[in-house]
Amino acid sequence: MAHSVLIVEDDQSEALLYREEFEDQGYDVRLACDADAALAAVREARPDVVVLDINMPGKDGLDLLGELMDIDRKLPVILNTAYSAYQDNYMSWSAAAYVVKSADVTELLQTVRNVLAGS
Amino acid sequence: MASQLPLCDTVAMVMAGGVGNRLYPLTRDRAKPAVPFGGLYRIIDFTLSNCLNSGLYRIYLLTQYRSFSLHRHVRQAWGPLFNLTRGEYVDLIPPQQRVVGDWYRGTADAIFQNIYLLERERPKHVVILSGDHIYAMDYAHTVRRHVETGAQLTIACLEVPRPEATRLGVLQVDAAERVIGFEEKPAEPKTVPDDPETSLASMGVYVFNTTDLVRILSEDARTDSSHDFGKDIIPTMVGREMGVFAYRYRNLRTGARGFWRDIGTLDSYFDANMELLDPAPLYDLHDAGWPVHTWVGAYPPAKSVHAFEEEGRVGMATESLLSPGCIVSGGRVHRSLLSPRVKINSFSDVRDSLLFTGVNVGRHARIRRAIVDKHVHVPPGFEIGYHEEEDRRRFTVTESGIVVVPKGMILA
Repeated sequence: MAHSVLIVEDDQSEALLYREEFEDQGYDVRLACDADAALAAVREARPDVVVLDINMPGKDGLDLLGELMDIDRKLPVILNTAYSAYQDNYMSWSAAAYVVKSADVTELLQTVRNVLAGS
Repeated sequence: MASQLPLCDTVAMVMAGGVGNRLYPLTRDRAKPAVPFGGLYRIIDFTLSNCLNSGLYRIYLLTQYRSFSLHRHVRQAWGPLFNLTRGEYVDLIPPQQRVVGDWYRGTADAIFQNIYLLERERPKHVVILSGDHIYAMDYAHTVRRHVETGAQLTIACLEVPRPEATRLGVLQVDAAERVIGFEEKPAEPKTVPDDPETSLASMGVYVFNTTDLVRILSEDARTDSSHDFGKDIIPTMVGREMGVFAYRYRNLRTGARGFWRDIGTLDSYFDANMELLDPAPLYDLHDAGWPVHTWVGAYPPAKSVHAFEEEGRVGMATESLLSPGCIVSGGRVHRSLLSPRVKINSFSDVRDSLLFTGVNVGRHARIRRAIVDKHVHVPPGFEIGYHEEEDRRRFTVTESGIVVVPKGMILA
């Protein structure tokens, strides 16, 4: 059965790019454009992994990470952000992995594979 | 002697959330760290005094249940001692339910849920303390040792006779004091390399490098563990051969084994109080080099009234601690600790007892081996501790026979 991935991304063009890339790899992809949508999606059906942007309007990804842990402590979350500086923030350390965004999605795909293999 | 230099790169996190079920009814209306101790103090004052005397001026107090009187006491007693403009603080942190919307699940979870405080402050080291122990320890010394050994975690421990170690968390160390094993309440406690009669027991005092702490807690939070330092975090770190070192807590002046009491039960609470009455107590409240701070109201000096020896109406206290505002008026007090504003009326007799703030002992009343909580009026002629069956019917009586009269109870 295909692994399910929830991608939380406020930038629509990036979100569509991720959808395409992940679907090409056989994942079952859902998109959420903000924290509330992400929480609703996780409550509705638990994904195998969450890819989470940090800078978003409203609740940011680090806050959302805590709330996702509240729902399911073991749900693996990969932080996916344009900024490497958040890596230093202790609040980001309970994520399963941290990926700095680039035009190439290879690293993100590989990280998702690693996290799923480890969980 | 108290440390002179502030511990700049260190933050203390004090766990003050214990329910203290075994101290009931003293914990009916207050958290365990807020239970009065030594007549004038609350249990939390001892740990906070250690911080202050160690130059550790940045303190988070993690509270949980029934924390009203704890919060009020800390604000009153401790708020004024810290200078906010110099970056000093003692902050009361009730559960924020910020990471996980739940009460704390274990000691490690309590810290994990407050990692945002460490993110805000970014200290190099975190000292983790418990708010319900009575001891005098210079944490600056422990932090210095932690830095010298290059440890990731330093665990303060007591040297105890091996048989006593079966009810404690026991460290196994090598010749360099590196921790190579840790067991909670082992049937066969490991001993120190140089002495087969002595074991090292954890005091629940930890010095962590902040980054190591955050890393291990973030990892633990995602598991089904009990999220406890003793049961989960320390065994994991020791198992991975991380840099975990023991620090033997000693009396800094004499080099003798340090005084430390875990206030677990009503009996151990009572005994620890009584120890203060010894002529040369192991914990010396009169040690000017290690002051214990607290809040005292604007009470007058303790007073004794009447000396009519022929009628047996003598206001007298022997081998006792008397707080400000007390009046011993024509009654007798022996081997007891009196909190502020206790009144002992004529012909009464109080011995081997703890009387909390505002207790009034009526004429001809007799009290023996009892803890009388705040604002209890003991009626004239009333007896506590003399009639076992009746006491058991009315009050909590401990295993060793101490009678506990709860706060505000109306006696007739």
